[in-house]
Amino acid sequence: MLWLLQKSEKIQSTGSQTAFFLAFSQASRFFDKGMLVLDETEKKEAHQLVEGYEPEFWNVLQTARTYLLLSFPQEKEAWFAAVNQLFETADMHEHQALFAALPLMPFQEDLIDRAIDGCRTNVALIFDAIALNNPYPAKYFPEANWNQMVLKAVFMQRPLYRIQSQDARSNPALAEIARDFAHERWAAGRNVMPELWRLVSPFLNEKYLQDLQKVMSSKDELELAGGALALFNGPSGTGKTVLGKFPTLVSQIESGTITWETVGKEYQKTRV
Amino acid sequence: MSMYIDPHIHLVSRTTDDYEAMQKAGIVATIEPAFWLGQPRTEVGSFKDYFSTLVGWERFRASQFGIVHYCTMGLNSKEANNIALAEQVMELLPLYVGKEGVVAIGEIGYDDQTEAEDRFYREQLELAKEVDLPVLIHTPHRDKKKGTYRSMDVAEEHGMDPGWIIVDHNNEETVKEVLDRGYWAGFTIYPHTKMGSERMVEIVKQYGPERIIVNSAADWGISDPLAVPKTADLMRKMGIPEEHVQMVTYRNALTAFSLSGQMDENDWLQAPPIDQTKKLSGNSVLRGGQVPRVEGPADRVEN
Ligand SMILES: [Zn+2]
Repeated sequence: MLWLLQKSEKIQSTGSQTAFFLAFSQASRFFDKGMLVLDETEKKEAHQLVEGYEPEFWNVLQTARTYLLLSFPQEKEAWFAAVNQLFETADMHEHQALFAALPLMPFQEDLIDRAIDGCRTNVALIFDAIALNNPYPAKYFPEANWNQMVLKAVFMQRPLYRIQSQDARSNPALAEIARDFAHERWAAGRNVMPELWRLVSPFLNEKYLQDLQKVMSSKDELELAGGALALFNGPSGTGKTVLGKFPTLVSQIESGTITWETVGKEYQKTRV
Repeated sequence: MSMYIDPHIHLVSRTTDDYEAMQKAGIVATIEPAFWLGQPRTEVGSFKDYFSTLVGWERFRASQFGIVHYCTMGLNSKEANNIALAEQVMELLPLYVGKEGVVAIGEIGYDDQTEAEDRFYREQLELAKEVDLPVLIHTPHRDKKKGTYRSMDVAEEHGMDPGWIIVDHNNEETVKEVLDRGYWAGFTIYPHTKMGSERMVEIVKQYGPERIIVNSAADWGISDPLAVPKTADLMRKMGIPEEHVQMVTYRNALTAFSLSGQMDENDWLQAPPIDQTKKLSGNSVLRGGQVPRVEGPADRVEN
């Protein structure tokens, strides 16, 4: 802790790139990757500080690195010179820290390309830092890039319920892409992750209802739960007839024992 | 099963078949020294991306096969001769030497023993002192004996502790002096030529296992990523005690490179089970339709 405060002070007062780079990488010698343990008040404080900021999903090391990052003087030209270099030379865990810290950074509008590029990674740890529990993509990504990110999350079987503002960013194009993906999986004789139907739900029409009817003929509890949630939350009335045959699921949804989060969690725990 | 460390292997040039075979043969950890790529680079950006690969993608790729990947950072002696470029690389190095899993400055030293090579070798010895890292020295293939002695002379001139230096690519001609002066002596097993496993057995018989480290230096040339376990097997067959075999193919490398504070046996002894499904998207190391290799619960559904 003393180390961190000393380094932060030095970075802040000198604006030295070298000191900043060295401290940023060497933080791994002083902090481990155990998760932050926060109480309810602290969580609330964090959310009030920056909307959507969820440090309860951060580890100690990335928190320390973010602290150092925020200590660097925020003069635009020098800041980008340093931070670009940091992004370009980062290892896996440094990338994790940098991308997760996007919503806390200055000049956020100028970091959109960086974030979009980050989503091209094949390393789940880095992808997760951008896509999950991070308000940045929903706030800044254009629709096409948002859709690519969500589809990639589906493809990598990441927990979709941890993507922020999903319902607010839902769109017909993404529903269409999700449906195509489901058909591809079915054609290959493979299952579809139940959370996928959340993307379709706001746009239920004849076509999607047919797919969901197929889902509701599954023997798999989680697939049924996902299908039922999509039908239940769809535009009023559309899913009624199909759901009529599943009174238990409907009452579980009404009572809140089945939600996208419970389905996503259970899926991650038992199927991924 | 015996555990091995290959403390000198250029994995960016190896295939996933190699990784699988290495893991099966008992290799638990590898060290990838920064080196040249078979032809000289012309831009500093190529070094940057290469260094990033060593601490990023390659480390991740190795982890997918249950192998812990470390690396060393440095400007190799061949490319030190492009002075304008070498100066830029020296500016880049401080960004990488402090990163997790960087266990030494290396491989550095002499190739043709030019003035430029001497300059950047010395500068990197100073860098190693500054950041408290061991040094991995590449000894030249031509004029080897002189080059090896000179590497040690210069290191001592800079006040380096021989116990923090691994002098690599030794042979019968250099080993005695290197050990006598207190350095770690690395031996590269080259198939067909130079130092073969049989010669290695003789050296361990003659000099004992103290401070001797066997490696494959496998790269993009003719080389064998299984050289370390194969040599260990031959040593056993030739009657070298098990404890000695383990020292030269595992323990000594661990002791030397863990001086960095960046390498710990627990990194592999307590590693989570390999799980290719968890970390990879469907289009990287695993291609469509391949079933991932998963250790652990057998009831996993490939989905
Ligand atoms: Zn080498």
